[in-house]
Formats: sequence, structure tokens, C-alpha cells
Amino acid sequence: MIKVADLTVKMGGRSILNDINLEIPHGHWTCLVGPNGAGKTTFLKVLLGVREYSGSLQDNGVEVYRNHKRNVAFVPQSPEIPTGMTVAEYVALGRSKVDGWGNETAKSRQFIEEVLIQTQLYGMHQRHVAQLSGGEMQRALIARALAQEPQLILLDEPTSALDLHHQISVLNNIEDLKSRGVTVISTMHDITLAAMYAERIVVMHEGKTLLDGIASDVIHSAELRTAFDNRINVYTLDSGRPVIVASKDESKN
Amino acid sequence: MLKKYVVFIALPTMAISAALTPLAHATVAPHKIISLSPSATEDLFAIGAGTQVIAVDQLSNFPSSAPASKLDAFSPNVEAIAAYKPDLVILNSGATKAESVRSALKKLRIKVYFETAPLDMTGAYKEITELGSLTGKGPQAQTLIRSMKSAVKKAIETGRKKSPISIYHELDDTLYSVTSETFIGRVYRDFNLVNVADAAAKADSYGYPQLTPEYVVQSNPSIIYLSDAQYGTNLASVTARPGWSSLKAVTSNHVVALPEDIPSRWGPRLVDFYQFVSKSIAGIN
Amino acid sequence: MKKTSAGIGQIWNWKITASCALILLAIGTLAISLGPIHLGFFDILKTLIGAHGLEGQDRTVLLDLRLPRALLAALVGAALATSGAVYQTVFRNPLADPYLLGAASGAGLGATIAITNSGGNIYGWLPIFSFVGATLAVMTSFFISGRFFAEPNTLLLSGIAVGSFATAVQTYLQQRHSNALRPVYNWILGELTVANWSIVSWSSIYILSSILVLVTVSKKLDGLLLSDEESFSLGIDPNRLRMIAVAAATLATATAVSASGLIGFVGIVVPHLVRGVTHRVTNRSLATIALVGASFLVLADLGARTILSPAELPIGVITAFVGAPFFLFVLRTRRVSHQ
Repeated sequence: MIKVADLTVKMGGRSILNDINLEIPHGHWTCLVGPNGAGKTTFLKVLLGVREYSGSLQDNGVEVYRNHKRNVAFVPQSPEIPTGMTVAEYVALGRSKVDGWGNETAKSRQFIEEVLIQTQLYGMHQRHVAQLSGGEMQRALIARALAQEPQLILLDEPTSALDLHHQISVLNNIEDLKSRGVTVISTMHDITLAAMYAERIVVMHEGKTLLDGIASDVIHSAELRTAFDNRINVYTLDSGRPVIVASKDESKN
Repeated sequence: MLKKYVVFIALPTMAISAALTPLAHATVAPHKIISLSPSATEDLFAIGAGTQVIAVDQLSNFPSSAPASKLDAFSPNVEAIAAYKPDLVILNSGATKAESVRSALKKLRIKVYFETAPLDMTGAYKEITELGSLTGKGPQAQTLIRSMKSAVKKAIETGRKKSPISIYHELDDTLYSVTSETFIGRVYRDFNLVNVADAAAKADSYGYPQLTPEYVVQSNPSIIYLSDAQYGTNLASVTARPGWSSLKAVTSNHVVALPEDIPSRWGPRLVDFYQFVSKSIAGIN
Repeated sequence: MKKTSAGIGQIWNWKITASCALILLAIGTLAISLGPIHLGFFDILKTLIGAHGLEGQDRTVLLDLRLPRALLAALVGAALATSGAVYQTVFRNPLADPYLLGAASGAGLGATIAITNSGGNIYGWLPIFSFVGATLAVMTSFFISGRFFAEPNTLLLSGIAVGSFATAVQTYLQQRHSNALRPVYNWILGELTVANWSIVSWSSIYILSSILVLVTVSKKLDGLLLSDEESFSLGIDPNRLRMIAVAAATLATATAVSASGLIGFVGIVVPHLVRGVTHRVTNRSLATIALVGASFLVLADLGARTILSPAELPIGVITAFVGAPFFLFVLRTRRVSHQ
């Protein structure tokens, strides 16, 4: 269980995250939703352990700040793309968390190959990472994260650069990870997709959490609409699947 | 009978002098000299040691009979010098890594004369004396010095003005000049010529301040000496500078182009420089 | 990377490093065999192994002139190439060079202060002053990058500021002391001309220990190519690693510069050469880069003293001659790969 208590993160006098209290269970997919500037990305970075904070954020009872004992994969929205590195080398970087830096085992090489196949990158693994399209780069990021065999995976807008087909395949890959016991925490702009995959949803607004709970409850809540200034409409399809779209005027739905 | 005495006296005398002669020349004068200093080269040839010189650097162009080589005065290549198997190397202290070159030559057991640029005529004469004793041309060196001294004295006597005249000596067209504390400055001072750069001496602690155009115009020198004449600066280009056409030196046509090399060397041709300066101020009251 | 039928091939091969070491040995032997004075090849070998070979002046030429010079060239080349590779990683910029954080300007300022303030023996103090100058400049760059301590882009900007300031002070000093112009200019062009055993011994201590540190952390350096969050997730402390890497690289660079002046292009060209040939961007090739850098500079120095013999070409001219076209080549391939 990840326990967040009175978490506050300030930068330049301003509070980016303000008094957050939350519990995120392991083994499930939790999605953070909210408008831009709500603090979602910062929260992810705090969960990773790179941001200083006041208050407490514990993963299995241990504070996360600079805690290298955890195996946490981080998939950023815009990664630093190294020049001159092939896709295979890039994905292989993930194995350094498991094998240690600079060690390669035959087992690792096998694992990398499987991961490349899984993310449909196998045919182009000799290409330079810098030459990949946006969608291919996103898949490479996922592949690297998979290669790490993490306990927790943090994804910042994992599908924004992808076409519909790949959005689904990437999310399916992540769901697969989750089914193997990995905890998933992601931020997503597309709440419909979030609703499809996430089991829990946390609504964030201006550095605070308005609501967190089971996805289906949160989707239909008033807090979700408040977070988006009431400019969203939540529809339910016949199958029971919710669809959340933006609306031009304040909605009455 | 007298013949016998002569023989008895002459023979031993000859024998003794024969025995003593090697002692007198026990330290054989170097005869494979490499000179990496144009001024030293001029000195050597002027005292008659030219036949003892096997190579001179690229800048040693006087006298033209000096054995030119590809050796560089400013960046001496130790191995290349050693390849000549010299017995004396004249090295200027202004050369790059001069100290290291000197110690490297020392390790190779090659004798080095470490020349530092003299600050005045006394220093120049001292170098001639030292080179004379090193090359076994002591008397010739003294003769040269005496003749230089008298020629210089004569040039000053005929040329020196009673009242001081202001001058500007230009090193380049960015207006670097010399003060009276430099070697050249002292030569001018001997003729009672006052450098306008003296007042600007603080701008460079080594006597080579850079002047501004306004400063030169304000100082209004009576004579302008162009050391950069070899780079194309002349009366026309100087007159063209804004404000300079009104300078006394320009209007009275006392813009003097200095010959190449002579003002920058401290060898026997210093006499030529003194005579040159003397002539250049002859027409001024 | 060799793709075996089993899947992804091995990423690094120690055989490449070993062959580079052999190449360095061969080039070094070549370098000490050539020069204005002809020395017999077998006599050279005999002298080196301590047997009865050359004598007298020839022996001094080999052991006190050529050998320390070749060794110094190797050390400086290794230092610059390794630092260049590390800087390229730390700043995530393939065009970075070891002089980026103001090290060059700081060293130049130190050298100018030494030259303008000494009476006689300038060259005794010069290495110390330029070393201190280079190190202080880099430390200042870190210091003024303030809150964003060790963050690459901020460091870069700090380095530019510090470098410009140091250059300005240097120019002022040179204006005030015109007699320093020529020595400083010569020093800036880069020279290995009169190396001696004392320079070789102190510079080897600093350079070899820096390279050792860098090779030790080289495996983790790849992580710095990613963003700080990504590298953290892979088990690296990016700020700390950057500091260690930059400190070691700066030590090596400062030593190289104080021993031999500013020699350019080695730090940029050699890492790319090695990476281009081995098709590896990984820093695991750092030891190889060091060895190739050493060979590169020994060769360049050989050219510097033989092409226009007996005059010496400043070694910076040769490295620029090779480096500049190479630079353009790198830019071109970069553009191609981004299309």
C-alpha cells in the first residue's frame, strides 16, 4: 500500500501539491485525472522519489524520497532521446535495474527480445532511437519499462502520441503487466480510456485531490465535473461503458 | 760562439712557448656555433667570428652571407638543433619555452649562451663583449665596441637639439607606441626627443602603451616615426586619419618611415639607427 | 551489435579495447623512432629494454626528448578524449568538448597571470596557475548555477558566463602587459615541444587517476543520456553522478591544459570516431576512447614535428585540420538521422 499523508510540494513559494491525503493499493491500476496544472505530473515524480516534499509518502512503510531499493519504472511524456543509440540498446537500459549497470546476461538478452516483440518493435530494433516516430518512441519507452521488471510503473500520458490502434495495444500491455502483480499509476487526459482500464481514479484539481475511489463511482461523481469546470459530459453506452467528452458550454448533465 | 748561446736560449724558449701554446688555447673556441638570435648573428659576424657559425635562424638575414637554415628563433626544435652537433647555441630568452629548451640542450651537453634583450646600449655592448670572449675574439669585440661608441657619440653631438622636440613612434596602426624607458625610447632620448607616449606609460607597465587617436592629436608631436612602414603605413595613410592632417609632423612633412629590422635589433647596426635619427631631425630648428 | 540467431547480440567486446592498446603501442614506437636525428630502430628497442643500445647524445635524445614527449602526447590525448566523451554524455550534446565549462578560459587566464607576474622562470609556475585557473572556472560555473546545481542546461549557461568573464580579464591583462602577448599566444596554440620527465610524472598521476575514476563510473554514465527522472528510476543519482564525472573530467582537462596548452578538437573528434566505428554510443567504450585519444595525439604530435621539420607546427593546427572537416561530417550525419 502506498500511503500519502499531508503531502505538500512547493516550488518558488507556490504550492504545487497541497495537503494530499490518499491511499493507493498495490497490484491495481490507479489513474490520475484532472485539468492541466492540477499537479498530476508532479505527483508522479514525487511517487518516483525524485521530488522533495513535506509530509509523508510511504511505499510499504518506507519513505520514497531517494529510495533506490524500490524498482519503479518511469515513463515520461516527453523523454530525453539520446542520439546514436539503437532501439535495442535503449530498451536494454531497462535491464540495468535488474542486472546492474554494465552487466549483460544471455537471459537478459532473451528478455529484451521478448519485450521488443511484445511492443511490436522487433523489426526496427536496429534503428536509432532518434529516428523513431512519436508513436514508436512511446512504445520504446514502454518496452524499456517492461524490461525493468518493475514493481511499480508510473506513466505520464502514455497514450497521447499514439494512434487508436496503438493506444489500445500499449494499454493492453500495461494491463498485462498489472495482471502479473505490477502496480500501475498513470495520468491520462483521455478519461474514457482511463475508465476502460483503471480500477481506481483520483480526481486532482489545483494541487488537491477532490476525490478518489473505484473508477465507476468517480466517473459519475460531481467532483469530476467540478474539476473540469463542469465542461464535460458523461454518457453511458448500452454496454455500460462510460464515455466522457468535453462540452462547449457548461453542461447540465 | 754567440750562435751556440743563441741556440741554447732560443731552443728552450721555443720549446717552452711551444709547450705553453696549447695551454693558452686549452679551451678551444667554439667553431660550430648556431645562432638563434638575429642581433647575436650580426654581432658574431661583426667581430669576425662568422667563420665559426654553422647555422643561423630564419630571421637572421644580416649579413646575407650568414648560413641560413630552417631553424626557428621563436620555436626552437631541440632535436633539430642537436642534429647539427653544435658546440655553442645562442638562444634568446624570449623564445617559447626558452628555459626548457636551455635545460634540454644542457642535458645533451651542448653549451648555451642565454641571451636576454638588453635595455640600453650598455647591455648591447655587454653582449658583444661576452660573445667576443666566448668565441675567442675578445680584442675584436673591444675594437667594435670602441668604434660603435665613437660613431654614436658623433651622431648625438651633431644631431642633438638644444630644446626638446616631441615625437610619436608608431608600432602599428592600432597606435601602440614606445616610452622613453624602452631601448628605442632611450635612443630618441639621447637626441633630446620626447616621446608623447611617456605620459601614457601607466597603460602598459612594459613601456608599450596603446594610445588613442585623440591623445596623439592632442599631444601634437613634431615628428612621427613609422615602425609599421614595412606594412604599408605612410604619409598618405597617416594624413587620411581623422584629425591627423593638422598635426605639426604632418604639415611640416616630418613623417619618417623607419627601415625594417634596424630599429628592432641591438647589434652593430644600432650605429646606423643613431645616424638615421640624427639625419631625420637635421632640418628641424 | 552482432545479432546472433538467438536474438540480440552482445553490446560490448573487450577485444576492441585490447586491439586499441596494441595500436597505441605501435604508434608510440613509431613516434619515438622518427625525428631530425636518425636513430637506429633496433638500437632504440635495445635501449628501451635496458640493454646496451644507444649511447651519449643519441641516448639522451631518445630517453630525455622523444620518449617523454610521446608519453605526454599520449596522456594529454587520452585525457582530452575521455573528458570530451564524458562531457558529451553529461550535456547530452554530441558537440560538447572538454573546455565547455570555462576550463579553457580559466586556464588561459591562469597562464596569463603567471606570465605577466613572473620575473624570470615563467614556465615553472605556469602549469600550476593554469591548472588552478581551469579548476576554479569550472567550480565557479557549478556555484553560479545555483539552485539548479548540476542541471545540464544551467551549467552550460554558467560555463559560458564564466568563460566570457575569464577571457575578458585575460584580454585586459594582455593589453597592460604587451610582453606577455607572444608567450600566451604560443601557449594557447598548444605545444608539447619540450616535455620532460617531471611534467610527465605529475600529469600522469592526475590524468591516469581521473581516467580510472571515469572508466569505473562509465557504465552508469549511459543513464545520464536520459532525463533525470528516467535515470533515477534506473538506479542512478543523476546530480551526484554528474558531479563526479564532471569533476574527474575537469581534473584531467585542467592537467592536460596546464601541461600542454590548449589543444582543440581531440575531445570532440575522438569519441565520435570510436562510436562511429564501433556503432556504440554507450560509455562502456570509455577505455577505448582514452586509448584512441592517446594514439591520435601521438600521431598528431609526430606530424607537428616532422611535416615542416625543423620548424614545429603548433599541434593545435593539426588537430583542427583533422577536426574541422570531421566536425562538419558529424553535423551532417546528425541532420540526416533526424529526418
